[in-house]
Amino acid sequence: MRRQNLEQETYQRFSVLQRLLHILIAIGFTGLAITGFARAFSSVGIVRALSWFLGGADGIVSLHRFFAVFTYVCVVVHGLWLFYFKIILKGSLTGRGSMLPCKKDLETFLEHVRYFFAQRKEPPSFDRFAYWEKMDYWAFFIGMQTMGITGLFMWFPEFFSSFLPGYFINLAQLLHFYEALMAVIVKMFIHTIVVTLRPEVYPADLSIFTGKVTKEEIIRHHPGEWEAMSASTEGAAVVKKETT
Amino acid sequence: MKTRFLVLALATGAIALSLFALWTVRTPRTEQPLQCLDCHRSRNINTNEGIQSSQAFCYECHKQPDCQRSLGTRKVSLQVESADFRNSRHQYVACIHCHTDVARSPHKSVLGVQCLGCHPVGGDGPVHSEHLRVRCEACHTASPFVERDQPGGPIKLAHVTPDGVPISLAAHKQTDVGNKEFCDRCHHAGNMVGAPAAVLPSKSFLCIVCHYSPLAIGHPMFWAALIIGLIGLAGLICFWFRGSVEAEKVSAHKKLSLGSELVWSKVFSREFFSILKTIFLDVLLQRRILAAGVRRWAIHSLIYYSFLARFLLSVFTLIVQKTSPGSQLALSLIDKNNGFIAATNDVLGLFILVGVLWALLMRFYVKPDYVETKEQDTFALALIGLLTLTGFLAEGMRIYITGIPVDVAASSFVGYLCSRLFALADLGWQTVYGYMWYFHAACWAVFIAYLPFGKLRHIVTTPLSLLINYKKA
Repeated sequence: MRRQNLEQETYQRFSVLQRLLHILIAIGFTGLAITGFARAFSSVGIVRALSWFLGGADGIVSLHRFFAVFTYVCVVVHGLWLFYFKIILKGSLTGRGSMLPCKKDLETFLEHVRYFFAQRKEPPSFDRFAYWEKMDYWAFFIGMQTMGITGLFMWFPEFFSSFLPGYFINLAQLLHFYEALMAVIVKMFIHTIVVTLRPEVYPADLSIFTGKVTKEEIIRHHPGEWEAMSASTEGAAVVKKETT
Repeated sequence: MKTRFLVLALATGAIALSLFALWTVRTPRTEQPLQCLDCHRSRNINTNEGIQSSQAFCYECHKQPDCQRSLGTRKVSLQVESADFRNSRHQYVACIHCHTDVARSPHKSVLGVQCLGCHPVGGDGPVHSEHLRVRCEACHTASPFVERDQPGGPIKLAHVTPDGVPISLAAHKQTDVGNKEFCDRCHHAGNMVGAPAAVLPSKSFLCIVCHYSPLAIGHPMFWAALIIGLIGLAGLICFWFRGSVEAEKVSAHKKLSLGSELVWSKVFSREFFSILKTIFLDVLLQRRILAAGVRRWAIHSLIYYSFLARFLLSVFTLIVQKTSPGSQLALSLIDKNNGFIAATNDVLGLFILVGVLWALLMRFYVKPDYVETKEQDTFALALIGLLTLTGFLAEGMRIYITGIPVDVAASSFVGYLCSRLFALADLGWQTVYGYMWYFHAACWAVFIAYLPFGKLRHIVTTPLSLLINYKKA
């Protein structure tokens, strides 16, 4: 789908910190999923082999907690960066380049569905972040908080049951498991397929690793953003313009 | 004919079997004491029922007021008040779970109580790895009397007071270990168990560069050193990011952004291998110093590799201790009297000392043209030399006052030589040891605090500049 003979003018889409955090979170999340499901399905044959390899039930718990802290530290760093961006760099967290969900996302979603069913000739005009990208982001960001809290309930049950009823620990166990199941399905299947196998980006959308998008990619995938960039040179996406 | 053969065979078999049975019964079993539970039904002491019934079996005798044993002419009560024990932490543990060698004839404990079956050594709290030659119950039991029955043997609870009155230890009362007073049973001037006179703080995490240490900063001295060092480092980094890029006024962010972009593009490119080469040849193998001269490389390497090796060893120890506390490997690694650890640490310490002395010799007596000695060079060298020297002295004093037997102590050969020197005249080493420990620790605190300011800054800056200039290699 990529035409290399087009003008290769690139723009920065993700900063180094965002790229780094994405890689670290991907590692942490995969580790959490492996160790977590190894805990949940400990009787399955292959898990017993894995469990032996990772140092038994205790080893798996320690690893799971390590990955949990590791991943959450990434979330905290991201949160700190948001403050830095807003307060020191005087950046804007709202507007067309924002991650915040808005009414237009619902509209583009409906238009997109209409496009899928051939009720519309062209795909809708996505902004810097399309609705599914926002979903990916917020699913993880909110999910980390809830998984974190239920996880802490199980890590320090004595502390939490000193002021909460004991069945909160059982609830936490249940919710932690089902949310983990959901998160793994969303991240490992939906997210991975959307960024690789979707015809628009096939074989893969590598912008989260290179940090760069070409002009053509912006125009094709985020026409709304390109409009905004053309309308004013202070568009949120224009951090650094390079030609390679 | 056939029947007769069969009968004969059966009879021979029966005789052979009974002879064998007779032989096994007649074989005297003097080597091993008789185990009660070999014949009596063994309870499953991992279940509550088993624990209750096992405890009841012991109480059968041990609740009697006349349950006692003789110690010379005196009698020691072995009566266990079940009410006492029911209130203790170990109320749901069977007696024979800890007193592992009592269920046998003769009914006498040789090993004493066994804590390590459940509790790992040094699993919690930094204090444990310093007390590997002290039995658990010597500190954790309320009885204040401790003794060491043979030189170099473990320190354990005494069964008689210093006045010779027998003590009953059957109460199972534990000390409040949050209370510092329980340290005083050993750590006072003139103690007989070979403990330093003062209660010393635990090592700090900063000590990890040379010693296995807990994950806590610990003493205020180390906090101060860490804060000063970090402020200095922050100042250094701020200095690097000063100045403007592309004629902007405020450019720290710009510099960071451009710098990180550059690092990213190098790491994910083929140049990564040339960077690896720089790390290996220039940072690890010190190629540039070697090019300047073998002697200079040797002096630097004696210090640098020794520190590096001790650092790697302590980090390895920390990882093993955190992942499998109580394992044989972890126990050997945290034990500073262990032959391998003691010898390694002494050899490396000696290398550092030789390196420092050689460098001082070059700077002050040989004075080659290329050497330019400033105050900060002398200070850094003197600091490292003092650090190593006090380390050896403290080790020697420790070996002397704790009375470690020569076959164990000989592995730490420098420390053992020092201990022989101290043995010539006892100038109250139990007290001096505390001061020596503080002095050694203070030297390291100064090292950490001074790191970003003087000569020692090269530990951070030289590898960085080598990496930045990797293309010039």
